[in-house]
Amino acid sequence: MLGCYDFCGHYDWTFEWLRQQGGESLMRAYWEEAIAGDSQRHAADLIEELGFEGMRKYWAHTLEEEAAGYTLTEGDQVIRIDMHDCPSKGFLLQNNISHSPDYCDHCIGWIGPVMEKSGFTIDHEHNHCGKCWWEMRRTSDPSPPSEAGQLSGTADVRLDPDWRAPGASFDRFEKCTSVEHKVPPAPGQSACST
Amino acid sequence: MKSDLLPYHDTKDQGAADFYFAINATFRFIHDRLGADGWVRYLRGLAAGYFTVVNTAWREGGLPAVAGYWRAFFQAEPGASVEVQEEEGRVVLDVRKCPAIHHLRVHGREIVPFYCQHCYHLGQARAEAAGMSMRLEGGNGECRHVYFAEPPAAPQDMNLIRTASSC
Repeated sequence: MLGCYDFCGHYDWTFEWLRQQGGESLMRAYWEEAIAGDSQRHAADLIEELGFEGMRKYWAHTLEEEAAGYTLTEGDQVIRIDMHDCPSKGFLLQNNISHSPDYCDHCIGWIGPVMEKSGFTIDHEHNHCGKCWWEMRRTSDPSPPSEAGQLSGTADVRLDPDWRAPGASFDRFEKCTSVEHKVPPAPGQSACST
Repeated sequence: MKSDLLPYHDTKDQGAADFYFAINATFRFIHDRLGADGWVRYLRGLAAGYFTVVNTAWREGGLPAVAGYWRAFFQAEPGASVEVQEEEGRVVLDVRKCPAIHHLRVHGREIVPFYCQHCYHLGQARAEAAGMSMRLEGGNGECRHVYFAEPPAAPQDMNLIRTASSC
């Protein structure tokens, strides 16, 4: 039986298997169709129906169930998540599992399409070491992402001393709903916003 | 949970049951995109690749290692009710309540009808890698897995594996 205890391990293996079978396009279709459209349709339904309140309900349930170390901040027309201890990437790091080239991309790979369907966009950054932040706003909202500490105060993961830990590398997404919208860091520079 | 019988360890005692949604959705996606043969290839790839560490432990530890692994495995799966028995030349898993089928049903998910076959394809491929064999009977919430130290005379009868349903 394929279990849920080590789900993140075989999930990561599955990404790489799909990539080998049908390239990046098959892996991305998997995130969009199987994860966003099927597995996580309860999230999509909540967010489509309730907007920001749906996001709060969904992540409060799922991040508690996964025992994540996170802070969710509700601002004016924005929801921000600071992930200090990602349970998913953390499982891989703790167990030295690495099958796919960029495991962290799967989150934007499925959350992006869910947000697009409900009229939201995402600003997001992850450091590949189990830390990331997210800001969700309505598509019509032109506001830029917050400065470090502006929305979530001392809970802002960008202020965490380990945000720039050795081995950290930053992928950033701006006003996006797709993993294809990754902003490449300038040569020699971190894409980190702080 | 820290069990030396499981290859990977989490900070939680049990996994998050909603991940069964993703496993079911993954099976549907691969079966739709790559066909039944592609889905079996996926499972056999998982068995030979992702589960290498477990297969090696089974090969080295024999049936006691198989029994110990499955006891630890089902303790970490939320909602499982499974009895694992070591008998002469075999290990029997009596699954009284499959945690995956149960969780998918409770949440009204459309379960892929071939869901229960994955336990055979994955289990047999892992057993083969460890020099053993596996047979499955039942399904759709309750089933019986048998791991044999020696290959049984008869091949798996796929008709003995029930179609999974959402109710």
